Amino acid sequence: MKNINVLSTLLALSIFTNFVFLSEVNIYTSRHYDSDVMLYESFTELTGIKVNIISSKSQALIERLRSEGSNSPADIFITVDAGNLWKAQNYGLFRRINSKKINEIVPKNLRGENNEWIALAKRSRVIFYNKDIYSKADLQGLSYKDLSSPKWKNKIAIRSSNNLYNQSLVASMIAKYGESYTENWAKGLVENFARKPQGNDRAQIIAVANNEADLAIANSYYLGLMLSGKKGEKQLNAGKKVSILFPSQNEEGAHINISGAGIIKSSKNYDNAIKFLEFMLSEQAQKHLVENTYEYPINKNVEPSALISQFGLNFKENISKVSDFGKFNSAALKLMDRVGWQ
Amino acid sequence: MALLNQFLKNMFRFAPLIFLIILITPLVLVLLSLFGEYNDNWNHLYNYVLPNYVVNSILLILGVSVLSTILGVGTAWLMTNFDFANKSWLEWAVILPLAVPPYILAYTFTGLFDSYGSANELVKTLFTLDENYAFFPNVRNIFGAIIVFAFTLYPYIYLTTRMAFINQSRSLIEAGKLLGFNNWALFFRLAVPLVRPALIAGLALVIMETLSDFGAVEHFAVQTFTTGIFRTWFGMYDLNTAMQLSSILMIFIVFFILIERYERNRMSFTYAGSTFKKTSKKKLRGFKSLCAFVFCFSPLFIGFILPIIELTNWAIFYPSEYFFSTNILNSLFNTATMGLIAGIICTIFALFINFLNRFGGGNFLKLSSQFLSLGYALPGLVLAVGIIQFFSLIDNNLTKYFLGFSLVGSLLGLVLAYIIKAYALANNTIESGFQRISNSIDDVSLSLNGSKLKIFFKVHMPLMKTSIFTSFLLVISEVIKELPATLILRPFNFDTLAVTTYIYAAEERMYEAASPAIMIVLTGLIPIIFLSQLIRDSRPGKS
Repeated sequence: MKNINVLSTLLALSIFTNFVFLSEVNIYTSRHYDSDVMLYESFTELTGIKVNIISSKSQALIERLRSEGSNSPADIFITVDAGNLWKAQNYGLFRRINSKKINEIVPKNLRGENNEWIALAKRSRVIFYNKDIYSKADLQGLSYKDLSSPKWKNKIAIRSSNNLYNQSLVASMIAKYGESYTENWAKGLVENFARKPQGNDRAQIIAVANNEADLAIANSYYLGLMLSGKKGEKQLNAGKKVSILFPSQNEEGAHINISGAGIIKSSKNYDNAIKFLEFMLSEQAQKHLVENTYEYPINKNVEPSALISQFGLNFKENISKVSDFGKFNSAALKLMDRVGWQ
Repeated sequence: MALLNQFLKNMFRFAPLIFLIILITPLVLVLLSLFGEYNDNWNHLYNYVLPNYVVNSILLILGVSVLSTILGVGTAWLMTNFDFANKSWLEWAVILPLAVPPYILAYTFTGLFDSYGSANELVKTLFTLDENYAFFPNVRNIFGAIIVFAFTLYPYIYLTTRMAFINQSRSLIEAGKLLGFNNWALFFRLAVPLVRPALIAGLALVIMETLSDFGAVEHFAVQTFTTGIFRTWFGMYDLNTAMQLSSILMIFIVFFILIERYERNRMSFTYAGSTFKKTSKKKLRGFKSLCAFVFCFSPLFIGFILPIIELTNWAIFYPSEYFFSTNILNSLFNTATMGLIAGIICTIFALFINFLNRFGGGNFLKLSSQFLSLGYALPGLVLAVGIIQFFSLIDNNLTKYFLGFSLVGSLLGLVLAYIIKAYALANNTIESGFQRISNSIDDVSLSLNGSKLKIFFKVHMPLMKTSIFTSFLLVISEVIKELPATLILRPFNFDTLAVTTYIYAAEERMYEAASPAIMIVLTGLIPIIFLSQLIRDSRPGKS
């Protein structure tokens, strides 16, 4: 008898939950953070809209969206790197995001031309140095361009050219300075490598902490992650030894890239999708984002995490269109191949 | 009644054929790219990177082949012919590394051997060395990759050659002894040449899996043909050229399969007319026994124990609430379900195809079955693209109008991917199982007025129990490890253990990845332990 009771309760519960979640939003994402999942849960709590997720590699998701066409169950595509958003936009996967609220929060250079996509968070690709060896004054005014100077021979740590962040950085150089200048620059940079490119961004920062290299190029939020202690004591100690220099402050400004999202053309839950994006840009969600991923917020009312804002807040950002990265990504990759950037 | 018989007969003939055609379609779609446009990116690839990719891939294959052959054949020979210290448990334990996916071994390797890795730290603490001293050489290179693949994949060679050694006629070996061969000569001049077909069958699997891998080589920053495929796709945004590169990879594999076929056709003599006697294993003592033990233990240690220690280390360091969370248990359930489904379908299918082939299924059936084996060598993500394209073709023209749901993103796509990916494993095992059954058995049964189907169920099935079970288990263990195709084909909110691991590992959050990774290995162990049991019991001539 007891069993029957349990069973019927379960049955009732499952019917009930289905009832509650009649309303849903379907997301394809290439961001695999736990903290994102927690955000989705609070969105559901707040609105009663269920969030369904498939997380995978960006390009594979784009391919799936393309093939699915108008059958696609997806409402939203979330990814890192503006190049990926540009690619999806070029395939005509997105529809316009019509929301006054969103337009007010997201600056124009961090949106698609016709609001096909929007930024959810920012990161900067910056220079890390060892505080025991250099003072801030030593490196004042250092630009991305300077990194190819023979002065830095065997002193720079950076990861492989397989990495999208590097491809975007080079693409932004091409957008700014043209291909032949950038190729020469990259050639010089490769000659300055302290070691064969290996490991992730944090491995580059650790190399600087351990004196295996003088300068590392990596994304800003990784230092926040290391300093948070979430990566263990070793990384915490390494993180304490280094500081951030925002490059090219007298020139184009520090390289900025984004995590962003767009609404899929065939979306059957457009209103929910808008609600979701508005939620992601809300102060509550942005606060959660910056405190967990240490990215920079898009919503101006939210401060970056203290762990990362201590290195400076009012740095000059390169405000060129992030969508240029996509346009020049292929050229950037080939250029890196030509100069032997492994 | 006659009509029904006729219908059944035709169904048995055509159903597998139709199924086969469905299965090879995704592969064909990938190959079709060869007949498409060749764009400017080819110039770039050809001039700057392709030679490097090809050279690295060849070096990788050569290195992995040599090392895994030494490990696989060496352990198989020692286990079959000698008694030595700890052999009783090593005999089954030696295939445990099969439960460890290469990408997980790669992650643990860098965790151990990077300059600040745990193994280096341990050495430093033990011998109070300088903080910046690194005792172990860098593993993030092609040598590291060779070690990772060889030590996770050698069990395939151990499995095939062990079977062959076991089935090898003792009289031949004894004849060799009478001719005055010592142990080394017996091994190199008699035993190894006799098991060469089995060795090559195992080696083909090792090579295909090595070539299709992306995770491990990416992690070690070794630029292979496969990383090139993804660089082209992800970096140049050029899926078409990436598919063309994949097609070339497949054609390259055809070459290996042809060799394997050729060798297998010569295999029949191995079993013909052998009389099996209870083996008299030579007992090794003292130093020799120790050497044999070390030789068999070290692949187990490097390929299984070491990664488990490091993963456990991580899991303890980062005590995760995930280990028995509903999330992981769900993933476990999904993994097990998919493994069982794929294992059953794939094995039954391979059985039918090979049964039809045995009674002259026709060239098309034979060819397309071999063609399907190529799926094993295709990088999972590319295979997934083939499946997505195939399914959306059906969706857009058919299901959309009739069924109201789409095949893309349904579990059907996943099952299809697993079957294509693991068919080579099932087919290899089942085919060699059929070959071990003498044709005269069929003739006798037929002359006794048995129908072919009756032979299949009453004669073949019982004789092939081991092969059927082996195939089933190998497929399951492959499905448990499969990652890239799962990642892109799965329905909403559907995680497997490999996916859960990846989601952390992709960010190199190895501490969090450790718990699901341990689960993968433990789950993978279940079929592997059954498999070891099978080998142990499979020896004919046992008393």
